[in-house]
Amino acid sequence: MSEQSKDVCDPNSAAEASSSEVNSSPGVPGVLSPPASQAATLAGPETPPLGPTDALLASPPPQAPSEEGDPKALQQASEEGRAHQAPSAAQPGPAPPAPAQLVQKAHELMWYVLVKDQKRMIIWFPDMVKDVIGSYKKWCRSILRRTSLILARVFGLHLRLTSLHTMEFSLVKALEPEELDRVALSNRMPMTGLLLMILSLIYVKGRGARESAVWNVLRILGLRPWKKHSTFGDVRKLITEEFVQQNYLKYQRVPHAEPPEYEFFWGSRASREITKMQIMEFLARVFKKDPQAWPSRYREALEEARALREADPSAHCPRSSVSED
Amino acid sequence: MEEGRAERRRRTEAPSHTQGGPRRAGVMTDVHRRFLQLLMTHGVLEEWDVRRLQKHCYRVHDRTAAVEELEDFINNINSVLESLYIEIKKGATEDDGRPVYALVNLATTSVSKMASDFAENELDLFRKALELIIDSETGFASSTNILNLVDQLKGKKMRKKEAEQVLQKFVQNKWLIEKEGEFTLHSRAILEMEQYIRETYPDAVKICNICHSLLIQGQSCETCGIRMHLPCVAKYFQSNSEPRCPHCNDYWPHEIPVFDPEKEREAGTSRATKRSLRSRQH
Repeated sequence: MSEQSKDVCDPNSAAEASSSEVNSSPGVPGVLSPPASQAATLAGPETPPLGPTDALLASPPPQAPSEEGDPKALQQASEEGRAHQAPSAAQPGPAPPAPAQLVQKAHELMWYVLVKDQKRMIIWFPDMVKDVIGSYKKWCRSILRRTSLILARVFGLHLRLTSLHTMEFSLVKALEPEELDRVALSNRMPMTGLLLMILSLIYVKGRGARESAVWNVLRILGLRPWKKHSTFGDVRKLITEEFVQQNYLKYQRVPHAEPPEYEFFWGSRASREITKMQIMEFLARVFKKDPQAWPSRYREALEEARALREADPSAHCPRSSVSED
Repeated sequence: MEEGRAERRRRTEAPSHTQGGPRRAGVMTDVHRRFLQLLMTHGVLEEWDVRRLQKHCYRVHDRTAAVEELEDFINNINSVLESLYIEIKKGATEDDGRPVYALVNLATTSVSKMASDFAENELDLFRKALELIIDSETGFASSTNILNLVDQLKGKKMRKKEAEQVLQKFVQNKWLIEKEGEFTLHSRAILEMEQYIRETYPDAVKICNICHSLLIQGQSCETCGIRMHLPCVAKYFQSNSEPRCPHCNDYWPHEIPVFDPEKEREAGTSRATKRSLRSRQH
């Protein structure tokens, strides 16, 4: 893993910067070279620790005192940029950009990420570099760090490297996700409701849900595969293509089934964004039963909630700090 | 070290009720953050939706606080967004003056918001349609004229049938409005791209004589050529039996539209019927 940091701007080290982590994992050996570790400490202190995946990527070294203000951060950012030019001295690096330019790049990246998320598109690191960072590649770490800071402070969103393997980032809400339960504005909810319906079916079954089973459930909502719906449009396309593209569902052929049949599984994004407890609450609301009416599933949901709490002890902090006010 | 962190948190999470003093830079609380998140999620919202959204955010994060007046609430957030070159911008629909809000990027890096949604040839199709709309007299470009430009698009070759679908995609994503086979800009596009349009088409762009904002649809004086948005006309010539051009004083040759914002607000309770009416108009 440490060898990757030779390439000055790779998502791994960039993620460390963006994690703005306060915790340290001393067990992770030699992941960062010293300049990078200094950089990671400039990240703001407000964001809560990330989940298990990110702990692996978090910077091991101890924290330096938090930055005083922008001038210092900018100076360190440009110094860091210079420091990184030294190792890759194969080509003479361009002059480090003015701090204001780095700041501007960070703003551009912030907007880029927000729009990608708005469109529920994957935020792919190579795209970020190609579309926004461009020739400032050498400074992408500090740019990314600043962007994460702004997103956390202003929008209450965390820019997280969710998969080092695919180099995907995603914007995770740092605020409690009430949107799933409450209808802030009606036009968003139907999609979520439909998705939750399918996800909870899969969850309750404990394995993949055959397409036929899914349609049986959707029929209750008045949805048919061949009928266009006023809100959802082409429902079949929505659930077999769009939700799959957005990684909320997986749609796979059932092995050895003749005639061919397909089944649905939870997608990686659903596993990240939606907790089992939320599914239980959804089921409880829809069927007007106590969540404990599905005892084994409820137990699983409790386990998951406990595991999440343990991995992420300050995940509940945002709530308490608000109530302190 | 610990203190620094806690101090910073206190500074950025100060309660909203301390806003009595001079507002040099606004204070962001979770109420504002959630509001921004949701506004961003929805792209563009009408005023009644925005108010509902604001109330929701208060309900979620700060039940005890009084809901701040929307204009102040938004100004407060905008003062924080200022340094990021984005803002919550308020506009109005050109056909009937309904207020709309969107989070816009003030930096004019091309059609930046759309760039990530569409392929190169699709973006170019939009640009072509945009040019036709801006150059047109009515603010509308016919489907035929747009589709005839399909051969000139950058990127992958696009067939006319495909282009028709892409145009529909633009409509669904609220970049264009279609009316009887003709296309004009959605209020969202006007809000978000005004700066870009003014800079890219400085000669062709039309400006409203009253509000000085970008004008796509409107009325024009036949003598001196100045233009006004329909809602601006309605407001300017309100209860004026002899409307005259504000610039050259000639008689205003068009029918003065009548919008009643009060009636619109009162009808807020019967939202369902109003909505369907609007979608037909659009």
